[in-house]
Amino acid sequence: MPRTPSTNGNASPARAKELDELIEQEQLPAGRDDLAEPPVAHSQRERLLVAVAKTTAEKGYGATTIGDVCTEAGVSRATFYELFKDKEDCFHAAMELSLADAMGSIVAVYSPDKPWATMVRDAAAAFLELLASRPTFARMALIEAPASGERALQLYASGKRVLQSLLERGREDPVEEEAIPTSAARAALAAAESLIVGQILSGNTARLPELLPDIVYITTLPYLGQEEALRQAREAEREHPAADR
Amino acid sequence: MVARSQRERALDAAVDVVAEKGYAATTVADLTREAGISRTTFYEMFPDKEACFLAAYDVAADVLARRVAAAFETEPAWPARARAGLEALLESLAEEPAIARLALVDFGAAGPAAQRRYRAALQRMTPLFDEGRDFAPEGRRLPPNTSRMAIGAVVGLIAEEIAAGRAEQLPGLLPEVLFATLSPYLGPEAAALAVAGER
Repeated sequence: MPRTPSTNGNASPARAKELDELIEQEQLPAGRDDLAEPPVAHSQRERLLVAVAKTTAEKGYGATTIGDVCTEAGVSRATFYELFKDKEDCFHAAMELSLADAMGSIVAVYSPDKPWATMVRDAAAAFLELLASRPTFARMALIEAPASGERALQLYASGKRVLQSLLERGREDPVEEEAIPTSAARAALAAAESLIVGQILSGNTARLPELLPDIVYITTLPYLGQEEALRQAREAEREHPAADR
Repeated sequence: MVARSQRERALDAAVDVVAEKGYAATTVADLTREAGISRTTFYEMFPDKEACFLAAYDVAADVLARRVAAAFETEPAWPARARAGLEALLESLAEEPAIARLALVDFGAAGPAAQRRYRAALQRMTPLFDEGRDFAPEGRRLPPNTSRMAIGAVVGLIAEEIAAGRAEQLPGLLPEVLFATLSPYLGPEAAALAVAGER
């Protein structure tokens, strides 16, 4: 899916650094921008990472065997064990890669020149487009990760904390702050996550970008108020018209 | 006193063992030992561990949904109905932390079938939220997925508490889940007032 002109990234060094620090603080891998789907398999390691994402997306994490992953990747079992300790280790590495990707897509739209709400619109659009363009990774990261054990879950939680910090910047905007609970950003993210997971489970991953106005509404609402959040949702729809709305 | 059926014992065992060991580590042998039934009997009732887990999940979700609906009906109108329903939800979960954990945390570890079941169960809570659209002045202009997102927010906040080992303290979460329920319909200012306001 082509990137829209409004989300191309001339991230300022200052603010991008701030975001990088957040990512580093959560010990997430740095973003990278060259993982197409199917990715150019530079190495046997990358072939295995793509294969584990694809196999778990098809069969579920529990039912996936190392044999399945090796067959899919065209890599020998001996090579697998040279690179990874076990299935979970391989899955974890694939999760790290997709998380790095997701963070990369957000770093790319992060800029000091944009108001906070614009940044939220652009980040949400970039994130939904990324998921829609890589359905196997989307399914792995959002559906299969919880089944694979504590490590992947922790990684997932770290990614969410980065997004949460970004949303909480909304408090710095000069709006009248009523008694908004401190959990508002977590609640908004949970709302967006639930909508995205539902869409993936019902087999409509490619149509995720259609959820943009709803997600912009729910994430800006606590900080900007209802009238302005509705306006932001309309603005998001205007900037990123989804094909079949 | 009527002895519990073997099926009921198996379902209770699923709740207790999964809460203790986690879904992935739970074996059929754990379930038969805890339930005091034979392996043969287990496999006469369920094809595998997942089927037993899903059946236990359905029972738990059903009990919860009925309690929430009953509380909801005690109030004449939204948002008081939403408050009553959420209160009942939090109290029921706090009384049965093992069931709470099974219903809202461990389901994810049982794969897509369990996740679909889980989402279907959540949809039963929709009326608690959807009346907000008629009540809210801006109801007709709200995004199409407003109730889905409100449910997602509420369940997300509850699941985080349970995962952090605070299931018993869930009733204290009422102001936050109520805000998460009301604000998508009423906006944050009116929601904050309603949360702080009289019951």
